[in-house]
Amino acid sequence: MSYTLFPGCIARNMYPSIEKSTRMVFKELGLDMVEVKFTCCPAPGVIRSYDFDSWLVIAARNLAAAEEKEADLITICNGCYGTLEAAHRHLSKHPESVAMVNAKLSGIDMRYGGTSKVVHFVDVLDSMLPQIAEKIKVELGLRVAIHYGCHYLKPSCDSRRSVESPEVLERIVRALGCESVDFPEKLSCCGAGGGVWSGDERVSLGILDRKMRFIKESGADCILDICPFCHLQLDQGQKRLKNRYDVPVLHLNQLIGLSFGIKDKVLGVHTHMVATRDIAKKAKRARMDLEAET
Amino acid sequence: MSRDLKDELKEFDLAKCVQCGKCTASCTSGRDSNLRTRRLVFLVKSGKDVSMDRDLWACTTCYTCQERCPKGVKVTDAIIRIRNAAAWSGNRPSIHLTAIRSLLDSSDGFPITPDVAKIRSMIGLPIAPMDVAHDEREKERFRKLVSSLAISDMFKEG
Repeated sequence: MSYTLFPGCIARNMYPSIEKSTRMVFKELGLDMVEVKFTCCPAPGVIRSYDFDSWLVIAARNLAAAEEKEADLITICNGCYGTLEAAHRHLSKHPESVAMVNAKLSGIDMRYGGTSKVVHFVDVLDSMLPQIAEKIKVELGLRVAIHYGCHYLKPSCDSRRSVESPEVLERIVRALGCESVDFPEKLSCCGAGGGVWSGDERVSLGILDRKMRFIKESGADCILDICPFCHLQLDQGQKRLKNRYDVPVLHLNQLIGLSFGIKDKVLGVHTHMVATRDIAKKAKRARMDLEAET
Repeated sequence: MSRDLKDELKEFDLAKCVQCGKCTASCTSGRDSNLRTRRLVFLVKSGKDVSMDRDLWACTTCYTCQERCPKGVKVTDAIIRIRNAAAWSGNRPSIHLTAIRSLLDSSDGFPITPDVAKIRSMIGLPIAPMDVAHDEREKERFRKLVSSLAISDMFKEG
């Protein structure tokens, strides 16, 4: 079984720097990807809240598209994971839903068989820590505020991950030579999910504001996320909060890309709303020190 | 509440709720909104029609209540199903219409804008992503699929 990258609409269409960083990091790690043409996952917050069965059929179309290429799907977004993994799980337990989904998919000559797995990229990276360590060129020594987001951890269902005290991102951050800082509300939602980001700006920004206050107080150099939708909320949301906090935001694959010695402008990290220039400067200095040594 | 919804909600074990309030205490959204999860579960359990409750839409579906429920009630999954009933009754934030129409038409909830296309090209990605939205044949197949789905009926013009 090979892998296919499921980039999701936000990484493709709003934060292409996340797609670029992901492709570069995966390539460095020797993860070859089969290309499959996908649609929106579809977004679990809005469409699943409107019509569950329609959500399920569109998700199953994406799973079926990966099956045609005999590939497991790697998601780089908690939202996509929340949809694709949940749809896959639901279908594995509800044969009547599989029949419903396949009746719809047969109209476009597709079929869901359940043979492609859905994996979150964090789990893939966690299993490759030795390979990552080999590729690290610069240790950035950043103080990082980890934001897990919700749908990587929850609902926990059959997963063995700890929901209340997860450690996987702390482990990866340490391997990159950075430090994870603790802060209250570390495991809370960014405020964007469930259709609240578009549906209720006051509530959405209220949740973000509380979280940002604690992140700012922690003295973190940056926020680290594993989801483009959280990333959008944390990055654009700070602008909508009138720039009170000004803490740069990095998706994990961007932090890894910088640690691999890839320039910020090649990764596209400079295209974020909250300026990442302090981090880019630090990375540049570390790269130059390295060059001076060799 | 319709008989159908009551039947559908059975799989989420709302009957096991003992009204301890851990859900409301854990609710990320409840501190900034009027969403009161315990109350919502109580109302639904009592057979009340909550389909017109606006606060249903303040849930971020973070699943904290469901994870922490000591009785194993699938609270968040139930809220999502209740929202389905609300949406069919016409209780839906109008702003979601844009995202859903976009998904049904272009296959992306967040379609690409000219500004982002420029950024893609600047950082060395193909301007058009490798996706269904940029493949006319695949997009037509997708449209055919969604035209057979209930969500298309919900959002018919008019």
